[in-house]
Parts: sequence; C-alpha cells; structure tokens
Amino acid sequence: MKRFLLYLTVAIITFTIGYNINLIYFSDRAPEQPINFSHKVHAADNSIPCLYCHIYADKSTISGVPSVQKCMGCHKIIKTDSPEIQKVVSYWEKKEPIPWIKVYNLPDYVYFSHKRHVKASVPCQRCHGDVAKMDRITRQTVIFGVPFLRVSPLKMGWCLDCHKNGAKEFIGGPVRNGTDCWTCHK
Amino acid sequence: MAGFLDRLLERFKIYREPGYYKRYDYWWAMVVDLDRCTGCGACVTACQAENNTPVVGEEESGKGRVLNWMRIERYVEGEYPDVKVKFIPVFCAHCDKAPCEVACPVYATYHNQDGLNVQVYNRCVGTFTCATYCPYDVRRFNWFTYKDKGSFESPLDEQLNPDVTVRTMGVMEKCTFCIQRIVAAKDRAKDENRKVRDGEVIPACVQSCPSKALTFGDLNDPNSQVSKLAGLPAEPYYLRESGSKLAKISKNPRAYRLLEDLNAAPTIIYLKRVMKGSSTIGHE
Amino acid sequence: MLNRRDFLRVVGIGSAGAAAGFALAELNAPNPARLIPYLIPPEDIIPGVANWYASVCRQCGAGCGIVVKVMEGRAKKIEGNPIHPISKGGLCARGQAGLQVLYNPGRIKNPLRRIGERGKGEFQEITWEEGLTILSKNLKELRDRGEGDGLYLLTSPISGHLKLLLKNFMNAYGSSKYFAYELINYENLRFANNITFGQNSLPHYDIENTNLLLSFGADFLTTWISPVNYSYAYGHMRQGRPGLRGKVIQVEPRLSLTGANADEWVAVKPGTEGLLALAIAYEIVEGGYYKGEDRGKWLAALERFTPRDVAKVTEVAEERIIGIAREFSKTKPSLAIGGENVSSYENGVSNLVAINILNYLAGNNIGISGGIIPNRDIEKSSFIPVNSLMQDASKGKIKTLILYDTNPVFTTPGAVKVEGQLKNIPLIVSLSSFMDETTLLSDLILPTHTYLEDWGDNFTEPSVGYPVATIMQPAVNPVFNTKSVGDIFIHLARNLAGVFQKEIPWTDFGAYLQASWKMVYNKHKDMKEIRETTFEEFWNNLLSKGGWWKEESQAGKKVYISVNKITPYLPKGPASFDGDDKDYPFYLTLYPHSSYMDGRGANLPWLQELPDAMTSVVWGTWIEMNPERATTMGIKEGDVIEVESPFGKIYAPVCLYAGQRPDTISIPIGQGHKFYGKYAEGRGANPLDLLPFKVDERTGAVSHNSTKVKITKTNSPGRLVKMAGWTKELGRDIVQTITPEEFQVKEG
Ligand code: SF4
Ligand code: SF4
Ligand code: SF4
Repeated sequence: MKRFLLYLTVAIITFTIGYNINLIYFSDRAPEQPINFSHKVHAADNSIPCLYCHIYADKSTISGVPSVQKCMGCHKIIKTDSPEIQKVVSYWEKKEPIPWIKVYNLPDYVYFSHKRHVKASVPCQRCHGDVAKMDRITRQTVIFGVPFLRVSPLKMGWCLDCHKNGAKEFIGGPVRNGTDCWTCHK
Repeated sequence: MAGFLDRLLERFKIYREPGYYKRYDYWWAMVVDLDRCTGCGACVTACQAENNTPVVGEEESGKGRVLNWMRIERYVEGEYPDVKVKFIPVFCAHCDKAPCEVACPVYATYHNQDGLNVQVYNRCVGTFTCATYCPYDVRRFNWFTYKDKGSFESPLDEQLNPDVTVRTMGVMEKCTFCIQRIVAAKDRAKDENRKVRDGEVIPACVQSCPSKALTFGDLNDPNSQVSKLAGLPAEPYYLRESGSKLAKISKNPRAYRLLEDLNAAPTIIYLKRVMKGSSTIGHE
Repeated sequence: MLNRRDFLRVVGIGSAGAAAGFALAELNAPNPARLIPYLIPPEDIIPGVANWYASVCRQCGAGCGIVVKVMEGRAKKIEGNPIHPISKGGLCARGQAGLQVLYNPGRIKNPLRRIGERGKGEFQEITWEEGLTILSKNLKELRDRGEGDGLYLLTSPISGHLKLLLKNFMNAYGSSKYFAYELINYENLRFANNITFGQNSLPHYDIENTNLLLSFGADFLTTWISPVNYSYAYGHMRQGRPGLRGKVIQVEPRLSLTGANADEWVAVKPGTEGLLALAIAYEIVEGGYYKGEDRGKWLAALERFTPRDVAKVTEVAEERIIGIAREFSKTKPSLAIGGENVSSYENGVSNLVAINILNYLAGNNIGISGGIIPNRDIEKSSFIPVNSLMQDASKGKIKTLILYDTNPVFTTPGAVKVEGQLKNIPLIVSLSSFMDETTLLSDLILPTHTYLEDWGDNFTEPSVGYPVATIMQPAVNPVFNTKSVGDIFIHLARNLAGVFQKEIPWTDFGAYLQASWKMVYNKHKDMKEIRETTFEEFWNNLLSKGGWWKEESQAGKKVYISVNKITPYLPKGPASFDGDDKDYPFYLTLYPHSSYMDGRGANLPWLQELPDAMTSVVWGTWIEMNPERATTMGIKEGDVIEVESPFGKIYAPVCLYAGQRPDTISIPIGQGHKFYGKYAEGRGANPLDLLPFKVDERTGAVSHNSTKVKITKTNSPGRLVKMAGWTKELGRDIVQTITPEEFQVKEG
C-alpha cells in the first residue's frame, strides 16, 4: 500500500513536470505558414526595415501584418516565377487575405502596446529574436539542430524583469509604474 | 528568508508611509451631483457596453447575480400621496482605505498609484472575501463563464470591447473607473510628452449621462472640474486618511461621501439633492 | 529505503508519467490563432486604434446625434455626439443599446418568401434578385390593371430625404396611400398647438431656462419627445445657473421618473388633468394675474371651472390649485407642458389645449426664453388613423401593403384585431430588420439595414430653437445580406422603368442623399448661410460633424389667443372611460416603458436587464398597485393577478408602488411579444390587449388611457424579478438632501 502511494506520487509529480515542460518550452513551435515566407531573405539579405511591413508597430498596440497589396507592391516585378510568390499572387487574384498563423500570442487579459516599446526604442529583436536569421519564424532557439529554449518566454516574470532592470538600457531606469498590474493587464 | 519577507512587506510599507500618495501623478475621483441625476439608467447601459459585462438572463437575475458594475439605487419614502423618491448611482468608490483590499488573500485587489482600487482578474481566485467586506456592495462575481452560456451569442460578440478582457467563471469584478480609457489617455499624453488634461479621461457612464450629473477628474489638480465641484482646497490629501470628514475641508455645502463614518475614505463625492421639506444637514 | 528494484520501478513510472504529461500537453495545445492581414489596407484605419463616425440615433424619433466607435470594421460603442445640439454628448439607455440592434442574433439574414400558411412562420430563403422581382412584377401588374391606388405604404413617422424618396416613389406609381403609424406619437399635441398657437408642429420647450415647470403627465426625462435633450435641460435648470434653481411640479396619477425628480407631485384623478389646468387658468384670470383686455371674456369662458368645483372632480385640494396658480403666474418665466399621459385620454386634444393656454394667461410665456418657443412650420405629417387603414383593408381596397419599420399587430389596441384585417390583403411585403408580429404575417420579407449600416438623415422637429439636420452614415459594413430601404425603392424604380427612371434616376440611396444635399447646399449658399466654398467641403464637414445646424436662438413671435376661437376646444368634463365604475373599479393607465418604448426595444438584452427606474423590475411585465389598496384586497407583491377590461384580459405579477393612486393601476407597454427574437418572445404581457379602439379622428392618435379594469388574484405562477429588495433608507443617510432654502442661503 505504502509503496503504491509512493508510485502514485512519483507518477503525478513527473506527469506534471512533463506536462509543463512541454507547455513552457515546446508549445507553439515554428508553425508552418501558408506561404513559405522567409524573414531572412527580406530582413537580412535585402535589409528591409521591420517597420516597412509592420507599419502599425509605432502607431498602435498591434504591429500589423502587411496587407496583400503591400506584398504585391514588390512582387509584381520581383521573383514572379517563384512558386511561393505565385501563391501570393493567387491570393491576390482571389481577393483573399493570406491566413498567416500567429506565432507570438498573448492571452486576452494582457495589454501590450507595440507603440510604447518601439517609441522607447526597444529593438524588435529583443523580444522576437534575431528574426533576420530565421527562414521560418520561430520562437525557439536552435542548438545543434535541436530546438531549445524560447527566444522569449512571454511570461510575466520576464516582462517584469525588463520593466525593472532591463529598461535602464533604453530609458535610463525602471519603467514608471512598470510593475503596476494594470499597466499590462486589462 | 528575510529578503523574501522584506519584499512581501514592501508594498505594505509604501502604503503605510504617511502621505505616500503625494508622490503620485494622479488621483482619479468622481463627483456625482444628485440634484442633476434623474435616475434614468443610461449610465448603467453605457457601462455594460463599454466593459463587456455579460447579460445574465432572467433566471440568474432572480438569484441576484447580475453583473452590472454600477446600479441606481432608489429610495421610496413616505406613503401615498406624500411620496418621495430619491435616486443615487452607486459604483465602486475606489476607497483610499479600502476594506476589500485587506481582505484579499492573494492580493488580487490593491490600490494603484493613481488612487484606483483595481482588480486583477487573472490573479483572483474567487474567495468572495472582498465582496463581503465592501460596504458599498459593488463587487460582482462571475458564477459562470457567461460567454459560454451564450451571453455573447454571435453576432453579439462582435461588439465586445477589445480593450477589456472578458472575464471567466470564478472571478470577481467591479467598476474600474474605465481604466482602459485612463490607460489610453495616458498613452496619448506620453506621446505628446505632457500630463493628462482635465476632462481628457471620460469614463463611459460619465460620457453618457444626459443630464451631466457625473464628473470625472483628478483631485491632485486643484483646477480640475472635480476639485472645483467638490469645493476642495489644493492638496486635499487629508481625505485619504481614515477618519477624515469631507465637510471639514469642502467649501461646497452639498458635498458628502457615502457612509463616510465607515472610514473607507471613498473617492466618490456626492452632491446632496435639493429637496423640499427634508434636510440631512447636521445629521452626524 | 528503496531497494534497487523499487528504484527502477520509480524511475520507470516517473518517465512514463513525464512522457504521458508531455503528450497530453501536446494534444491539448490550443489551435493556432490566425493573423489575417488586409487585402488592401483602408487608408484611414489603424488596427487597434478606433475610428469614430458621426451619425444619428434611430431608437426613437428624437434624433440625437451620435458617434460610433469602430475598430477593425466592428462597431464597439455608441456615444452622444458632444457637439450635437440635441444630444449634447449624452445618450439614453436605448441609444446605448443600438449596438444590439446591429448585432442582434434575431435579425433576418436573407430575403424570405412565405411557403406555408400565413402566420405559420414558414419561410424560404431567396435571393435579392428574386425578392425584388416578385415585388416589381406585382407592382407592374397592379398598375397595368389600373389599381395603382391599391398600393399602400405604411411606415414609422420618418423624416428627412428618405421620406421624400418614398413619397416620390408613391407619386410616380400613382398611389396616394403613403401613411405613418406609431403608438407613441405627438399628433394630438401638434393639433392642440395648431389650435392654440396656430402652428401644427412641436415647439421648443425651453426647460433649460425656466424657473417653474408645471408638467402634466409629461415624462420628459425618459420617453417624451426628446428625452436626452430635456434631461440636459433639466440638469441645467437645476444646477447649471448659479444662484437659480428651477422648480418642477408634476401632475399625474402615477408617479413617473420625471415625477420622482419633481419637487411636488399632484396625484390627480385620471382623466381630469385638463379640468385642473382650467381651474388653474380660472384662478390666474380671476386673481388678476392675467391683465389682457379680454379678461372678462376669459372669466366667462372659464367660469364653470372654479377651483372649488374642480377640486371635487380632480381630488386636488382647492388651496393647492390656488397655490399652484399663484406660483405659476408669479414665477417668471414659467412653463406648462402636457405629455403623453394627458394626450392619450380620449379627450387628449382638449386637455392639451387647456394646458397650452396656461402659458398664455400667465403672462405670455410664449416666444420667450424659459417658455415655449414655437417652431418653424413643418410639413404636415401623413399620420393615418389606423381605423381607416383597417376599413380599407376589410373593404379589399388594399392590394399590396408595404410595411417599413412599424409593427401594427403589436402596437395597436387588442380590439383592432389587425391580424384578422390583414388577411384580406393579397400581398404583404415587410421591409424589416427583425421578425416581429407583423412581419410574420407577410408574404415577402426584404430585410433592411439597421441605422448603423445605412445612409440617411433626420430633420428634427422638436428642435432646440433652431433647425437641426443630422446625417446618418454607415458606420460598419452590413452584417447580414440586407439592403437599405432607400436602395430597395430605387431598385424597384429601376425594375419598373418608365416614369420611375425619370423621377428616381439614382443608382443607390447614398448617391441620392448626396444629390439631395447638394440641392440644400445650393439653396443655402445663395442665401449666404453656408461658409464652405465647395460642396465637397460642405459634405465632408457634414459627415465629420454629424449634421448641419446654425446655433441661433429664434425669438419666437408673440401670439394672441382669442377666447371665442378656443372655447369649443376646451375640455367639457373628465375624460370618459369604458367600463362602468361598479364592475371595473380601477383606472388603467399605460405608459411606454423607459427602455422598450412601444415594444421595439424588448429584443435587446441590455435593455431587458436594465432595472426599471422606479420599480427595478427586469425581464418582464409588472402591474403597479398602491400598497395599501393591495393589502385591503389581500394582494401581495409578486402575486399574479388577472386584469380584465371589457375588451380583454392579461396576467402579470403585482409590484407594489407607493407612487400610485389607490384607484389606478399602471402597466408599462413593451413586453408580451409573440415573435420578436429570443430575448423578447413569450415574456410578460401586452397591456394593449386590454384596450378599446378609440382614435381621435382628427389626428389619428390612438388613446391608450381609455378603459377601466377589474383585477382578481390568481394562483397562476408568475415571476417578478426585482433588483432592489429594499427601498427604505432606515436613517443611513444614503441620499442626503438639503432644502431649497438652505441651498439658496448657502450657495447664494
Ligand atoms: S467601494 Fe468596495 S470595492 Fe470599491 S474600493 Fe471601496 S471597498 Fe473596495
Ligand atoms: S445617466 Fe446620469 S442622470 Fe441617468 S442615472 Fe446615470 S447619473 Fe443619473
Ligand atoms: S432619446 Fe435615446 S433613443 Fe431617442 S434618439 Fe436620443 S438616444 Fe436615441
């Protein structure tokens, strides 16, 4: 009996650990997008600035994904023979938006403003990782070909750490009211 | 261990320090003119629309589970034909010595730097303690996830305000002074590198009131409309102490605070209704 | 301690557990959220940042200016337009709930054609093309047969260019049968104003600046004419003028919300309000407050109405009548208004005339600030007495009936039996956003846009002293497969071709509206009333401001009322009620519910859950009764009673309310829908079922305070959901007060 209880406890504990390891470190890995879009090609090889496409990042809470029109603006001429671009063209012709899959997702009860962070000149890479090196956008760092820790855990402690300490780099001190619950919750 | 305790007590220390609030930028408050308020209830619906408050239905209403953050109380005194009806809108008073705050075992409700009593939904575990402690009975409990019960049946959900979260089962909620509007105003002010102007933050109820009975603003600013209406001198910090009496410092004979003797130091200031044949002046 | 074997077991179980946990988390992983970009980004829209569109509220006829908050194409909030002269930034609860009109789950999503029997509710979805073809074919045939006059169009009392368009259409078609109907209307008031002031319109009641408001049953803070504007005025009258605070006296059998805010309540006997007004008038003349040359004539005309005699009928003490008369004439300016309650007696017009002349006698409060400022004359409304419509129906004169935004089956007295009369009409077409009682009876349903999706405009008649035009613009794209009413008629005109093309050449309603406003622009440009140099600029300003008005106070002209002309219209005695006193001991007064009005708001959940201002009842109908009277009859709060009139009966729970005369019961109108979406259906009772069919032939207004009733306690189950359990302060000093005297001393 005693032994059984021991087994049960061990099983429950390890189950929880396993569950949470998945949740914290492995969930929403780089999803396959409807179009094989490469940030590397755009941001690194062609050095297009982030705000060229994510036009609302300094104006709104949302950074925005580029409209299909914006894609077409360049790809009417550039690389029109690539099969991926032809997918874009077909969306454009069908007059349908591209159903991108969201990688960075915040829960409903979080208020996050891109504008405030961009205006405080926090570089995008600080939270989104070195996007310019990614062919497919991912939240995982990769070590020896194995996906490992997150670029940013998007957990509250991580946010607060920057609000308290990391912010020095940008605004010379902790964020004003940066640890008030309602600064980031809604 | 000591470090941990220190950290834990830190917030208490801040709030124990006399006059701690002088360091803060704003002190949001509301003035309710009962002589203007007609009891029409427009503010109640406006609040519901702004704050994604679910409609609970007849059954649940009958059990007293409505979720409206504010209500109009009515008092019918006297017998026919000498009937007097009086109305008073009641919302969370964002008390400076809030009884609800000491009640919460998980600090899901606390006072923030703007003088607001705020509720952190994702922290709340639903013990209901705060609601029992609140003298004004303004806290509302989500007995269900009303979203799943069809309160926002499609396409009604298209209306939901994206700036306010939709609360789920087991969470306490209450009037926030439309904090999302305060956040937005501060955001705007920060863009323009200034303080929030008087009248820039208008909560939904205040906005909608057709007879302009409600006024919202910053008591730290002696020139704000609320300070003037309430007849307060500059730096009325005294009001934040327990045991304070509004009548001592207010120049407006109509100003009073609801159930002031309970010493919760509420920040909603009511202006007395002018009414024939009855006066509550001097009732202490 | 563990031995080796156990250790291995633990490790085994441990890893299995971890693996299982990991796997479960994997399975539970939420579906990935999507990021949907714009195809083409709209120029002025930033996602996450709200856009505000100015428009007009259509929840009642007041025409408040609104602004609609739109984020990513969805309407999020409606607020009063702060620069609009009528709403002044405020809005009533109905206006707030407009969003639930737009996003109501009960909306009709596609055009429908009836397939089953009429009234069975069996419909088939069709396309717009089909729907419009059915209708235009029918219209063509009708006209070819020379029966063009058999086309009837019944709408709510709409204003603005939509009305003009419908009129043009009907003219071009050759039918003169364009009518309007609404239960809560001001036709009696217009008529009475015409008699007294010579203007068939609603004047501007300057409540804002008056010092004494004597209101006869006008619930101007919730439903009467322009509640938001009057609420603003009320607030200003009370506390907006340093050193001055206006006083309100409310005369009505049931204490309404306005009565609750008044300083004095005169609980007059139902139906005698007009007489009370005459007694006050008598005292004003007799007491020498009226100084006109024709004083003698007035005295002669009013001699039957001495306060002493009238006191007996009205059950208002003689001294009180005299007191009110003196106060009313001494206070300057003072204002007397007669509201819904008074005008809906069978002798409504004469009551209103009697109240109107008070303003004249007490020192001519007409045309001055704080009194009545007559409006510019407006085009006469084509209000139709429902009875003549019903006669036409039963005689088979109506061949095709088009209904828009009106629900006569619900909003006419039970005795009319509209349902039966409609049977004789070969084709009923309903242009409606919701499936209501009338729409259910129609053969073809063409769903319309709600006001947040449509173009339009509104010319407000009960203006603020100057004309106000408010523009309605689509704040969001249509939610369902619906069309604008204007577009439907324009489309029909195109299908019918011929003259129609000449009369109505536009492609869509938006274009028509713009063209019409261009005409307005040109006209007023010539009159130098418009500053904008181009029409485009004018139009853009129109849309961003929400309308067009010129703030200037119109000093009204003084009027002269001749005794001889007015005497025939004065009330002869108390209003008559059906049902004799013995069998039917209670007066019945019905009033529009502050949220549902005539019932149109009952399908909006926010309004259903908004506690009634006086009783705090939600989600149902209740019957208000005097507590003492109820006790003597053994009736407790919540008991379901049967209310019976000579014409019908209804059941509803009792709500005890001290603001009720012992000989009167009151029931709010608005609930008791049979078909009106899931929030309204089968809820409460429709008190209109109790009413006889009494219409003032001259005005078309249906009288809804016209019968007596008896009540019996029943055992049927019912439910009264009240939000406030207790209405006594018990010395807690919750709503603190000071007396007017103290107020004057302290503030002044
Ligand atoms: S009113 Fe109630 S909920 Fe609000 S701060 Fe005071 S005690 Fe807390
Ligand atoms: S909207 Fe204004 S007048 Fe109406 S109940 Fe609320 S506070 Fe009172
Ligand atoms: S009074 Fe209310 S319903 Fe009527 S137009 Fe104004 S806001 Fe709309």
